[in-house]
This record gives sequence, structure tokens and C-alpha cells, in this order.
Amino acid sequence: MGLPDFIPKPPDTMTPPPVTLQSPLALPLNEVPSYMERLWDGEDVSRPEGASTFTLLVWQPAWLEQELGRTGGLRGPVTGIQRPELIEAARQAIQQLGLHHATAPFDPALVEALRREPGALQPDDLRGQLIDGRISELQPRRLISVNPLLDRTAPLESQVAAYCPMPEAGAVNTACGDVLVLRGGVPVIAAQLQRIDPLVTPGLPCWVWWNSAPEDSPEVFDRLALPPRRLIIDTSLGDARGGLTLLGQRIRSGQTIYDLNWYRLRSWRESLAMAFDPPSRRSALEQIERIDIDIQGHQFCQGLLLGAWIAAQLGWSLQHSRFDTEGAIHSQFRRPDGATPAMVVSPAPIGMPTPHSGTVVGLRLLTTAAEGPGLCVILCGEAAGCMRLEGGGATQRQLVEHVVPVLDGPLNAEVTRVLSGGHDSTNPLLRMAGCLAAEMLPAS
Amino acid sequence: MESAAKVMVSTLTNPLRVGLRQERVIPPQCLVIFGASGDLTHRKLVPALFELFVQRRLPSEFAVLGCARRPWSDEEFRQKIEPSLKAAIAAEPEGWQSFSKGLFYEPVDLRKPQDLARLGKRLEQIDRLRATRHNTTFYLSVSPSHYGAGCRALAAAGLLSDPERSRVVIEKPFGTDLASAQELNRLVKTYAQERQIFRIDHYLGKETVQNIMVLRFANTIFEPIWNRNYISSVQITAAETVGVEERAGYYEGSGALRDMVQNHLTQMLAITAMEPPGRFEPETIRNEKAKVLQASRLADIESPWSACVRGQYTRGGSSNRPVTGYREEPGVDPNSTTETYVALKLFIDNWRWQGVPFYLRTGKHLPKRLSEVVLTFRDAPVHLFDAVGGASMANQLVLRIQPDEGANLRFEVKAPGSGMRSRPIEMDFSYDESFGEPSDEGYVRLLADAMLGDPTLFTRNDEVEAAWRLYTPVLDVLEDAPWQLPVHPYEAGTWGPAASDTLLARDDLLWRRP
Repeated sequence: MGLPDFIPKPPDTMTPPPVTLQSPLALPLNEVPSYMERLWDGEDVSRPEGASTFTLLVWQPAWLEQELGRTGGLRGPVTGIQRPELIEAARQAIQQLGLHHATAPFDPALVEALRREPGALQPDDLRGQLIDGRISELQPRRLISVNPLLDRTAPLESQVAAYCPMPEAGAVNTACGDVLVLRGGVPVIAAQLQRIDPLVTPGLPCWVWWNSAPEDSPEVFDRLALPPRRLIIDTSLGDARGGLTLLGQRIRSGQTIYDLNWYRLRSWRESLAMAFDPPSRRSALEQIERIDIDIQGHQFCQGLLLGAWIAAQLGWSLQHSRFDTEGAIHSQFRRPDGATPAMVVSPAPIGMPTPHSGTVVGLRLLTTAAEGPGLCVILCGEAAGCMRLEGGGATQRQLVEHVVPVLDGPLNAEVTRVLSGGHDSTNPLLRMAGCLAAEMLPAS
Repeated sequence: MESAAKVMVSTLTNPLRVGLRQERVIPPQCLVIFGASGDLTHRKLVPALFELFVQRRLPSEFAVLGCARRPWSDEEFRQKIEPSLKAAIAAEPEGWQSFSKGLFYEPVDLRKPQDLARLGKRLEQIDRLRATRHNTTFYLSVSPSHYGAGCRALAAAGLLSDPERSRVVIEKPFGTDLASAQELNRLVKTYAQERQIFRIDHYLGKETVQNIMVLRFANTIFEPIWNRNYISSVQITAAETVGVEERAGYYEGSGALRDMVQNHLTQMLAITAMEPPGRFEPETIRNEKAKVLQASRLADIESPWSACVRGQYTRGGSSNRPVTGYREEPGVDPNSTTETYVALKLFIDNWRWQGVPFYLRTGKHLPKRLSEVVLTFRDAPVHLFDAVGGASMANQLVLRIQPDEGANLRFEVKAPGSGMRSRPIEMDFSYDESFGEPSDEGYVRLLADAMLGDPTLFTRNDEVEAAWRLYTPVLDVLEDAPWQLPVHPYEAGTWGPAASDTLLARDDLLWRRP
């Protein structure tokens, strides 16, 4: 399939869109480094200079999109961009394949089911060429998009393009970037990975956005996600154990890591903190006896990260954790005063699941009080009612209820937020919560 | 878990709030501070930057380049900075290690083109070293007389040529009267676009000033009564307990009107009185602020002396803590006629505020340090109930800007007992008590906004000019017939001269004594 011109999506803001300096050029991978060098390091002073920003290395398998394209469930090219048409096609496929109605569109079970379906359509592959405007606005110095194909034996193709922002009137500095698109079967790509290292611009930060399940293609992951590169992962994709193990390992090793699943929790963190902002309620934080967290489906990462954040902030230490017979995770902690509060993360039935598996849909926090009925704080996602959490007489306590907007917006918006002003260290809250969440996941 | 336990120190702060701020991300950049050897840099700017760093609101790809004429090295600059951050460094020693790696220094005299050329090269080096993406914010913490020349020098060196990636922050005062502000605006606009210029007024960095907008435009209960039909008068006060301290040299030429009223109090006036913006966007907000200032006028333009009272503190205080009079302060002319207190009566000629007096006052050596906006509502049309205190009191909404930031609403309720008599009570909201974390210092917010390129809380050229135009009648009298606006002496530690009370007494009103 031929590569169309490099067409960045127009950005949402007033920043001028980037324009290509050249048509995408197919080159053997071994010729790419010298070509890139010539592109920016020539002696012609009038030529634009390479932006001193960062390298973004994206593992972009888009397995769901590729499978839907192959089986005819999604029309149009494969883009690697999370878009409404993709989510809608995934929802339809879930119905047609007879998967449980609570299956989230990005649940790996859907990809597994699609793999068993017949189909040989080959949609155009625009991964790495349709750059989200919000990312191109940041002018990556180099964008390397590594795009595995369903055909594991497909040979490696590489193509390069350079782009510049439209110069402002009067502007003298034109900082530009380039894009390298690699495409091929996973084993073929894995065999060529050592050729990618020299393409990472020295002296500039390098971000590795692993846009797939953390346990996907470990031979590639280990090679691309080398420290001190900064990692962006999404623990909602794939298996909870794989995600949390990786998160815990990388945090402990000191590598900078961002988990998009953690960032989606921010409205929950804010809403819960808000419930305890009034000074009259703050002492109740020392008297929590039980926390219930409801999640969508059986992917526990987000629920455990939320629970771990609360426990870490309150200075609780984990005593033990186990699965119950209904698949919920029961954890017992010890508070600084010696009491032993419980935390239960339970899969809850959801009629219309959000795109990502394991999204938190409800939280209930119960406290005891020396006098009076104690406090019951209920937060519930707008996707789910509060009714289940209101049961069991909990609301006979002093009740605080909030509805929390479930954040499941465009993936690129989260990535842009990270890239636009990133840090070379992991967020301290995630550092604590990530390690504890990994410990809270009991052995199967 | 050890560090987690450390977080759980006290329920005085909300432990779930720790580290939770959802701030906008400041893009990688180099902040160049001209006047890096000065007091503001050490006392306000660098502490604010370190606070931003500790809060993880600065990206790793960030640098501060201090510039002044002194021939310091990078290391010397870091050492000079350290004492002003002593307490903060003690709390975050590792943070300081990391932050200080991004501190650099370059000797620059803005008047020397060769220095600017060297600065450009240094910025290139820092850009490569710190990957600051060619984004540069220039902070002119220099004498106001150098603003125009500073912009010219930066532009001549090509450092302002990219409006997307370069901006200039300018401290107050922006001019000394309308003509000088217009000239400065003209000069600055020659070298940079308006969107590159950030005129800082640190009052706008205060949470409570910003909260006036949220209070008004995020609630349905206030805006319908925020007009001449329900509000009878507005008082805006900024009181200081200190004198001129070490600023006598500057203050003698400026006085309270130029130092406080034209900028801080006028910005509070604009935010209190502006119309709701169509969208919460910088230009729509600044349009509304400019519009309301353009509609504002001194209560009596023909006789400014009847709408303005000037005062000057004299010796006072107690036998334990005597206070020197202004004319006895070091560096002050013994016959000085500079005002340390000023009170003004203004009107706003628009549909919302026609006929509502706005009283502004500010002064040094007043009994309390506070800034507040007080909206007094009209009397109830019929008094059905006897008041316990003899007469019912008008409803009053007090927006406390500092200290004890918050708001207070006074209204009448039934006094306990068998009769039906009314008495006033106060409903109070306090930032400190309601939120589990302290507010940022104004410079933290404003520096972050400048580096984000968000001009919402910065004053635009037309706002500055409208503010100067508003006080031009007073400044003209001071220039042409100063005897019409004498400085009334007031004892240090009192609420200003008696003439100031008379200004309100003519309208049957009193200043609030907080």
C-alpha cells in the first residue's frame, strides 16, 4: 500500500499547522541515520534547524484497529488514533461476536476474539503520518513511529519526512522536526531494533509511548523502553498483573514513568479530597474503617491505583490481600493508630462500559466515630448510579455524595499534557501508589 | 510506605490534598531575569520559581538565566540566591540540588549591544543544554526608566522576533501619568506585539482577587443583585501598617496614588465592576476590564479636590513602639507634600453602576494590614421589625483580599426572644478553613501564567491608559494647583485624616472600620 503525503491534522489552537518540507521518502533503515544527519546538519545557514525539543518514540500496534480493518468492521485507514468511529466499531463487534455486554471496547478480549475471525482486507496504514495536532504543535524533534503489522513475517519498511511550522511573520527561527515510520512484522522489527538507538537525538529528552498492553511484545518493549528514556504506558490496556508489575518495577528502578490510567483518575482524587476539605471532616480521615471501590469489568489496575493512593496518603500499611469467591480483591491495612481498615475493589455490572477496561465507577468510604453515626462518603461515576453503594444501611451515617465525571477522553490529549511539560522523574503520588497497587494485587 | 507515612502528618491539612494540584503544564523554557542582583529577584521571583519547582509545575527542561551588570559566575549567582531560600531549601534539599542546576548567570548591561549579542549566544547554549525549545520569557525587574530601552535592546538582538516563543514581563509602575504610559506603550509596541507583553500587577495574582470573578460569574445568586438597583455603595481598601521603609527614594516621587491606587486598587475596582465576559478567555476578560475603566470617572471632574483626600502620616504609635512621622523618615524631604494616604470617590457611567459611589482608600501606617472590597446593599424598602441596635444595618458583602482571605455576608435575622426584633449576623467563608491547602503567593501564580503565555491576569495597554486617564484630573491639580489638594496630616496608626471621613459623611456614609 502506498504512503500518501504527510498530512498533519490541523491543530485545535491558533498555532500554525506544520507543513512538510518534502514528500515522505522510502529508505532502507540502514540509510536513515546518515540521511537524517544530512537533513539538519548541513552548512547552509538558510536551511531550517532541527527543533531542540524531544524525541517521541511510539510503539503503535493498533491491534484493535488493524483487526477491525482486516475483518471489515471498520472502514478507512489504520491511523493509530483513538477516535469515535473506532470505539463505535468496537462496540458493534462486541455485540456481533457475542462477548459479554460489559466488555470495554479496548478490552484485550475483543482483539483475541477478532483474531479468530476470518478476513483479509488490507486498509491503508497511516500510522505515524496522521499526527494529532496537539502533538505536532509541540514540534517533536523526531517522531519515530514503530508500527507492527498483523503479518508477523512482513518485511521492514521505513519512510522519512521532515516538517516545519508555518513561519510567523517576522519570525527568524524555524525549528523543524522529522518523522520516521517503521512498519513490519513484530519479529522483523525486533531484529532491527538496535538500528533505532542511533536515531534517538542525543542530548534531548526521549519519550517512549507504549501505546499497547504493557505485556505486548516484551522483546520490543525491553529494547525500546531503556532508561533514561521516559515511559508513557497505559495500564488499562492488557492484563492488570502485567501492567502493575511493570509499573512497580520501573518506579523502583528510578525510571520516569507516566501511566495514562493514573491520569484518568484525577477527577476521583480531586472529588475525594474535596469531600474532606471542610475542617470538620478532616478528623474522619483517621477513622476510616472500610473503603469500597467499584470498577467496570475485571481489570483491576485503576481501582487498585485509586485505593493505593488513598492508603499511601493516609499512611496505611498493607497487611494482606486476597481474591474473594466473587472475584473482588479484599485488602487489609493497618492505620497509624493500629486499627485495621479494609478495602474492597469489586467488579460491578455496567450497562454501557467506557472504552477502557477497569474504569472506576464508584467509591464508598465509611468511618466510625466515637460518638454519633460516623461518616459515609459516596462518590459515583456519572456512568453509574450511586444506588449500589447506598445499600446496606451505610447512608444512615452522615452522608456526603458527589457524582464524579468519568474521564475517558482522547488518548492524545493526555499524552500531550505529559509531553508539553514533562518531568524527568515520576510523579511522587504515582510513585507511592504504583508500588502499593502492585502489592495489593493478590496472587491468582 | 515510609514516605507515605511522612505525608500523614496532621489532619490540620487535608492529606488527600497533598500533591494534588491540577495545574496547567508550563512548557519548557528559559526565564531570563534582568535585575537578577536586585531585591525583587531574591525576595519574590526565585522563591516563587522554587515553589513552582517543588510543586512539580516546572518542567525538567527549564532554566533561569539571571542577568545584571555585576560580573558574577553561574556558581556565584547560585550562592547569592541560596540565603533567600534558606527555609525552603532546608525543607527540600534534594529539590534545591536539582533546581539549582538550572540556574545560570550572564553579566549584561542592557545598554550595550555586544552584551545582548552575548546573551543571545548564551541562550542558544542553554537551549541545547536544557532543551528549552527556544521558549524564552524575559522578566524586566529593572528601573521603570529602562523598560523601553530594554525592549529595544532585546528586539535589536533578535530576541523578541518570534512572538510564539518570546515574551516580556514588565513590573509596575507602567508610566507615571497618562502621557508617559502612552509613550511607553508606543515604544514597547514598536519592538514587540501586545501579546508578548505581560504587565504584572501582583494583586491580580491573589486567589481572592480572582475569586471575585468566580463568586460573581459562577453563581446565580450574586450577579442579579450586583448592580445599582441593589447596591448602594462600594468601598475598596488597601491598608498597610508599615511606612515607607527603605523605599523613600522611590516613594517621594510616587506617593500613594501612583504606588497603589492607579494599579492595585484600580484592578480590584475593574474586577468588581466589570460586565460578565462572554467567555473565560484572556482578551474577553481584559476587554470588559478596559470597558469598565473607560466608563469610570472621578466623582467631580471639575473640582477634583472635592472627590479626593490626601494625607500624610505624622509621628504616632505607642510609647513602646513609637512611629516616626513621614517627613522625619530617612531620605524624605522634611517639607514633603507626598501623600501616604489617599481616598477617592468615583462613579462608573454605565447601566449597571450609574449613581453608585465607589470609594477607594489606601494608606501607610494605618491600624491594620488588609485589603478588602465592601459592597453595601440598599436598605430594605420597608422596616417591619425593630432592630435590637436601634436601627437595622444594611446588608453587606465583604470580600477579604488579605489577610484572612475569604468573604463575609452580613444580614438581619430574628433576635432570640419573644419579640420580633432584628439584629445583624455574619456568615463567614475563610480560605484557610475551607480548603485543605494554603493559597499560592501572588508571584507564584503570575510567574506561572506568564510562562504559560496566559495574559488573563496581566494588564493590557488600554487598561493601563484607562487607569491613568481616570486619575488625570487629580494629577493635573497636583501639577497646576497643588494647594487645592493639600496633604492632611494623620497620626500613624489611625485610619487616616478626618477629611477622609468627611468625604463619606457628605453621603451619610462611614468608612468600614474592620
